[in-house]
Amino acid sequence: MIEIKNLVKHYGDKKALKGISFTVKDNEVLGFLGPNGAGKSTTMNIITGYLSSTSGTVKINGHDILEQPDLAKKDIGYLPEQPPLYLDMTVNEYLTFMCELKGVPKKERKEHIATITSLVGIDAVTGRLIGNLSKGYKQRVGIAQALVGDPPILILDEPTVGLDPNQIIGIRKLIKDLSKNHSIIVSSHILSEIQEIADRVVIIHHGKIAAVDTVKDLSQRLSNVTNLLMSFKGPAKDVAARLKMIPGITDVNIRNSGSFGEVEITTSKQAGDEIRTAIFFMMAKAGWPILEFRSLDPTLEEIFLSITTGKGE
Amino acid sequence: MFAIFKREFLSYFRTPVGYVALAIFTFISGFNFYTLFSEGTVSISDEINSLRSLFIIIVPIITMGSFAEDRKRGTEVLYYTSPIDLFSVVVGKFFSAMALCFVMFINVFIHMIVVSACGGRVGIGAWGSVLVFFFMAALFISIGIFASVISDNQIISAIVAFLIILLNNLFSVIGEYIGFSVSTIMSYMGINATARSNAKTAVANAISWFDPFEKTYEFRNGIFSASALIYCVSFAIFFLYLSFRILEKKRWSQK
Repeated sequence: MIEIKNLVKHYGDKKALKGISFTVKDNEVLGFLGPNGAGKSTTMNIITGYLSSTSGTVKINGHDILEQPDLAKKDIGYLPEQPPLYLDMTVNEYLTFMCELKGVPKKERKEHIATITSLVGIDAVTGRLIGNLSKGYKQRVGIAQALVGDPPILILDEPTVGLDPNQIIGIRKLIKDLSKNHSIIVSSHILSEIQEIADRVVIIHHGKIAAVDTVKDLSQRLSNVTNLLMSFKGPAKDVAARLKMIPGITDVNIRNSGSFGEVEITTSKQAGDEIRTAIFFMMAKAGWPILEFRSLDPTLEEIFLSITTGKGE
Repeated sequence: MFAIFKREFLSYFRTPVGYVALAIFTFISGFNFYTLFSEGTVSISDEINSLRSLFIIIVPIITMGSFAEDRKRGTEVLYYTSPIDLFSVVVGKFFSAMALCFVMFINVFIHMIVVSACGGRVGIGAWGSVLVFFFMAALFISIGIFASVISDNQIISAIVAFLIILLNNLFSVIGEYIGFSVSTIMSYMGINATARSNAKTAVANAISWFDPFEKTYEFRNGIFSASALIYCVSFAIFFLYLSFRILEKKRWSQK
């Protein structure tokens, strides 16, 4: 269990964190979400003891990271943004070194490394130099490093960044498997990724917690599509005028008024399928063929906006 | 600590660093030995004492990457987030550099064997010089590690280490110069000659007190002094501790 209370971190005049508090329960995956520069990495660095906070406390399974660092650090496996790899070592040498650092007994090392390497799928490359591995493999060696010593808590800073889609799916699956007996904090700026693997989400913005939500609530927020994009063949001005007459549509923005029109339609929140049906029949009746019709997924920024300004609640 | 020691020591031989240092040392010591040998008289202690001037080049090469490289690679995170003491990291790196020095020194041991085999004598003065060599290596390596901690850039670390070690070589000369300047200034102030020369000697002595080469000079004659060794060890510990404190402080820094 991780308890974080009132973390504040100043970098000179810049306030990177302005009082962050949350807890991670046992065997829970907490998604840590925020745009670049929001303070995700800083928070994670403080939790793991790499940085010290200006004020506030971090407790790992009841041990304060500053007062009982050895006990606290024993329970944490950390994958920083840049995996801490020695490029001049082979995977096996590196993981043995990590076992020594984390105090894994000598007798258990071989078996422990074998378990970890097969878990993250690097058992085929254990004899190779880390410097010669592809980025995906390097990232996985980074994750393997975090698993050394079997810590109950894992902190993974953007574990899927720079990987190809197949590898991303692999890592996500791995995190899901690990979550059965680990508490995990995963950071990302990709919403869908967090949605898929996390039980709970902390959204951080400008060094403050903007929202703590379960994934279910967050997806509900997402499914309330209020903006639609439609392109069609027909006079844009007329289309816009007719669209505005449909009940539930609050605003229509013309994006393109050439021979192929394009409009962005804002609907009131309650409106569901009926509006889209109504739009379809209206267009069909007028003889303006619809070429494309899709919902505009709210971006992370828009969710932030809606959270921070209180709209869309 | 042992884990760090092992990793760092082996990494000297995974990169060119270890080989470069070994090559320089082997070449110079071999050449030195060859010259003495062909002249017919080999003094092992003279050979060792002249090799000490190599520290100025070899130590910066060995130590420049010890922490600077970690910062660049991002591996320093491991030291901060693993359940180990930062000081043991510093000490582990220090001993790995010492071990490399020992490997280089095997050359001299071979020369000793050759001398003995040819009927020469390896006397107490030679062993005294060996002792001094390693104590001074300890002092200079700790300076090199300190230089590696204070800068993120390997080149700057190497230059800082080079300058500090150079300064160590020049303490006596610098002492003379400063003493001379002091007496010159005093002569402008109209102070009498006796006081001037007293001041000059006092200043020169005070500064050359720091000179490790002067302190250990008598070892080559088989006259050992504990104070010289304590001087080297205490300064080595001082620089290692300073490095440790700087590393500790980095975690709190607000840059």
